[in-house]
Amino acid sequence: MKHKSSTVAALTGAAMSLPAFAATQPAESTISVSLSQYHEADIPSDKVVVGSNERYDIEVGKFKLVTPIGADWSLTVDTTRETMSGASPWGTLYGTTGEPNLIMSGATISESRTSLAISSTRYTDKASYTLGVSKSEENDYKATSYQVSGEWDREDKLSTFALAFSYSSDELSPTDAVLYGRVPEANQRSRSISGSWTQVLNKNAVLQSGISLTKKDGYLSDPYKLLDVRPDEKTQWAVSLRYRHFYDNRNAALHLDYRYYDDDWGIDSHTIDLSWHQNLGVRFQLVPRIRIYSQAEASFFEAADDYSLPRDQPQSSDYRLSGYGALSVGLKAIYKLPAWTVSLSVDQYRSDERFGHNKSQYEHPALLDFTLTNLGLEYRF
Amino acid sequence: MRLLFLVLVLLGGCETVQPWERGTLARPEMQLDSDPLETTLMEQVYESKEAASGGNGAAGAGCGCN
Repeated sequence: MKHKSSTVAALTGAAMSLPAFAATQPAESTISVSLSQYHEADIPSDKVVVGSNERYDIEVGKFKLVTPIGADWSLTVDTTRETMSGASPWGTLYGTTGEPNLIMSGATISESRTSLAISSTRYTDKASYTLGVSKSEENDYKATSYQVSGEWDREDKLSTFALAFSYSSDELSPTDAVLYGRVPEANQRSRSISGSWTQVLNKNAVLQSGISLTKKDGYLSDPYKLLDVRPDEKTQWAVSLRYRHFYDNRNAALHLDYRYYDDDWGIDSHTIDLSWHQNLGVRFQLVPRIRIYSQAEASFFEAADDYSLPRDQPQSSDYRLSGYGALSVGLKAIYKLPAWTVSLSVDQYRSDERFGHNKSQYEHPALLDFTLTNLGLEYRF
Repeated sequence: MRLLFLVLVLLGGCETVQPWERGTLARPEMQLDSDPLETTLMEQVYESKEAASGGNGAAGAGCGCN
């Protein structure tokens, strides 16, 4: 009982010193690690003309350290290591039934990705400022990104304004470029600005509304597709809402997120994320969740590669540019000890042309189903 | 437009919350991002497998994910 009272007092004391939802200097260091298994379902073999129908399996290891430095600073180090194997779609052509079929790569693709992100934050009474740099490296893709962001609290500390800028420079060097006639080297750039307003609505609810604008230019086509010609510029923007509500009588929190996305390639999309964080006693929490996604097709999307078009005319048969929707359901279990938190989650993703708000003429044979399993461990000291 | 209207309605219902009433808001499950490590994983998966991205702050380094 004494322990519970002191926990509540500590929690309330911490809350009293907290601004609304601005980044505050962490009171302790945290190390988080996770191991994830991502598995894509096979494509039905009658949809594959050439190549393997086995898609990607990816194993992901993540490590993150967040630690306070002195009275006003913190340091965050984030690393990821991924190993991938499997096949990916190379192209699409009309089959004997008049519907699109796939040309797949062989199942011998095997690669890895390593990324490192470091950022440092300075805290003042009513604001925080962060500088960050991140690098991602694969044998055929290198990316370097810089981020600058700030958060400012209002006087009553019930609302927070945040602004962030990022710049990324990516270098592509596709494998077997000469053998398959791929572009040997290419570059792309991305610049992004985002802003958000977080508002405490009452003692049990908070709402964040955000907006972001991103401009990309350079080589934006997929070099591994047999025929993929995309515009060399893209402007995209998104607005988002994130709502959190704690129900005292249920001892649970509702998370409801919505995002609207639009770009000048003709794609718009809606994303809804809904999760219920149910406390079961002091240490255990169950989180059932559902995600609903829908996108319209790009203006230059083709159900099958069209070799009769001029080579400088944009076209792509990539399923990611088709009109479709996806439904993801998941369950996460969290066990908390004073210094440790362990979590295990499983999410099942299924995409289908019929789930889309503006579906393509044909269902793309490469639409994706995957299972993602994640084991997480956090240690605070 | 409907989104803006919804935001304005919700913000119009704001109450003053005293510092000693912010215990619930400080709970881990009430944070906007209650598991940042998992969030970066999920965002990378969705951004590499779908057309849409953005809306949640500054972007990190991209990947050539297929």
